[in-house]
Amino acid sequence: MAWVDRFTKVSEAIWEASVAARAGMRVPARIVADEVLLKQIGRDRSIEQLMNVATLPGLVGAVVGMPDMHEGYGFPVGGVAAMSLVDGVISPGGIGFDINCGVRLLTTGLEQDDLDVEPVLHELMRRIPAGYGHGGRLELSDDELDRVLEGGAPEVVRRFRLGEPDDVERVEGGGRLAGARAVAVSERAKQRGRDQLGTLGGGNHFLEIQRVQAVFDAEAARAFGLRLGGVTVLIHTGSRGLGHQVCTDHVRAMVASLARYGLTLPDRQLACAPFASPEGESYFAAMCAAANFAFANRQVLTHRVREVLARTAPKAVVRVVYDVAHNIAKIEEHGGQRVCVHRKGATRAFGRGDPDVPEPYRAIGQPVLIPGSMGTASFVLAGNGASAVSFASACHGAGRAMSRTAAKAQVRGGELRKELAGRGIVVRCPSNAELAEEAPVAYKDVERVVDVVQRAGLARKVARLVPLGVLKG
Amino acid sequence: MADHDATLARRLLDPRGMSWSRHRFGEHTGEVEMKVEADSLPALFEEAARGLADLQAEDTSGPPTRPEERITLRSSDREALLVDWLNELLWRGEVNKCVYADVKVDRVDDHELDAVVRGREPRAPRTAVKAATWHGLRILPRDGAIEATVVLDV
Repeated sequence: MAWVDRFTKVSEAIWEASVAARAGMRVPARIVADEVLLKQIGRDRSIEQLMNVATLPGLVGAVVGMPDMHEGYGFPVGGVAAMSLVDGVISPGGIGFDINCGVRLLTTGLEQDDLDVEPVLHELMRRIPAGYGHGGRLELSDDELDRVLEGGAPEVVRRFRLGEPDDVERVEGGGRLAGARAVAVSERAKQRGRDQLGTLGGGNHFLEIQRVQAVFDAEAARAFGLRLGGVTVLIHTGSRGLGHQVCTDHVRAMVASLARYGLTLPDRQLACAPFASPEGESYFAAMCAAANFAFANRQVLTHRVREVLARTAPKAVVRVVYDVAHNIAKIEEHGGQRVCVHRKGATRAFGRGDPDVPEPYRAIGQPVLIPGSMGTASFVLAGNGASAVSFASACHGAGRAMSRTAAKAQVRGGELRKELAGRGIVVRCPSNAELAEEAPVAYKDVERVVDVVQRAGLARKVARLVPLGVLKG
Repeated sequence: MADHDATLARRLLDPRGMSWSRHRFGEHTGEVEMKVEADSLPALFEEAARGLADLQAEDTSGPPTRPEERITLRSSDREALLVDWLNELLWRGEVNKCVYADVKVDRVDDHELDAVVRGREPRAPRTAVKAATWHGLRILPRDGAIEATVVLDV
């Protein structure tokens, strides 16, 4: 029997497999999906990976797969797991190598006719380094880097004057995780990330100029500062090499300590340590520091966007709508218990009245930002705080449905570039092969994914944004 | 330039005599699965490095642009050593802004590796690789050779 067949529908868009579904599972596995998405999810090894996660000690509730779930390494991408702070573990693989990979949405105060997308993208490409090149980055001294690791986005605004003071008021956690300790980050990690603040990175990272094409919830859209036809900018990047090295360092250390803690795992990439252990505490402090680096990175990029628009579209007034992490572990309260929620390719989606939602949005719910695949729509939702279903989490994107190899076999980058241009979407991507890997056909249908999130009660749709120009890292 | 998705077979005349190795990239929805085959453990580790470089840049065959660097690693087992080796190359590559296709493994066993590498700053970067992972990691004998599987986070 395939793993997907062990799941039964328990309510609208919710499927569950009990602990009896596979030997070693300590808690049930839950997937948020409709029949079409569940079938797609069942085609790769993501369900097996979700069940592997369900074998970890100290889990609370169920492990949850989002509708954009796909195969990752260790944890599936689109997985959520909450661990007890007393007898649970923390697993770097449950956050991923790109710690605090996330998205930040900006409004510009512009309409589409107010800017010429091509020169704006060209200028952004000049100001935001990608790949192996030199220059344009923010070079930090040892002391400055440590201050950014502990101070996050507010430190960048305060120390380097890169941004407006109110930018960070509308960032998850204020753009700074208090648990960060710079000394927990290795010298190798600092060396790797030292000159990467203000860079986009490769892979699926991007900066997109968009237009608000549809508004589904006028009150929420107004509160978020979104209006029909308005131009927005979406930034998708993370903690760059610094975060990658933090994960590499701590997975290695935790693999070495597994026997000492009596931990037996179905996959070494699930390497973990008790949350309340020297290894667990050290990783959490380093992860928070890397997350702060990522918040700071998106803040620097926000400043770059502001600089470029000031020259190319002087009417622009750039404001932060919100900034969410989708690869992170957070200490949160669910069901009256404080737990460590691992979100790997999943977005926090807190609801109305939650004190962690910025005050201007507290009557609406937290903005949930869901980027689509290249050339397709992105969505803004408002969180419902569905704690009992998903630890108040939602999806993080469309979710890959096809390997990069298969995508390149089906799509030619050059043709995709022309097709997007034909639809009025300007693309800046150095490699046609990379472009083909991120083709829309390689992803699930974002409209369906977002509809399922709404049907399952995790978040509700506020607005649809369509791309005008894409700068790929 | 070879298509990096095609199986790349190579025969190399080195001080150990005729040696062969090859790598290919398999199916994985989210990341990149690299399979490497060789007739010896040193050749396997060298080919894994070339596979990584092949993924990272289109122009890896040109002359190195950086001086020699000596790498010595110690790990808990052979599989861990392969992950540590690839992650060492990724770290050096990001710090030195280069990729390492010019590699010579002088000695490798189940726990230790000595190698000399030379980097090249790529003019045509391809895929940004974040890390070599432990997921599905294996090194197994196969048809008189050795085959390794490693998933790379991209």
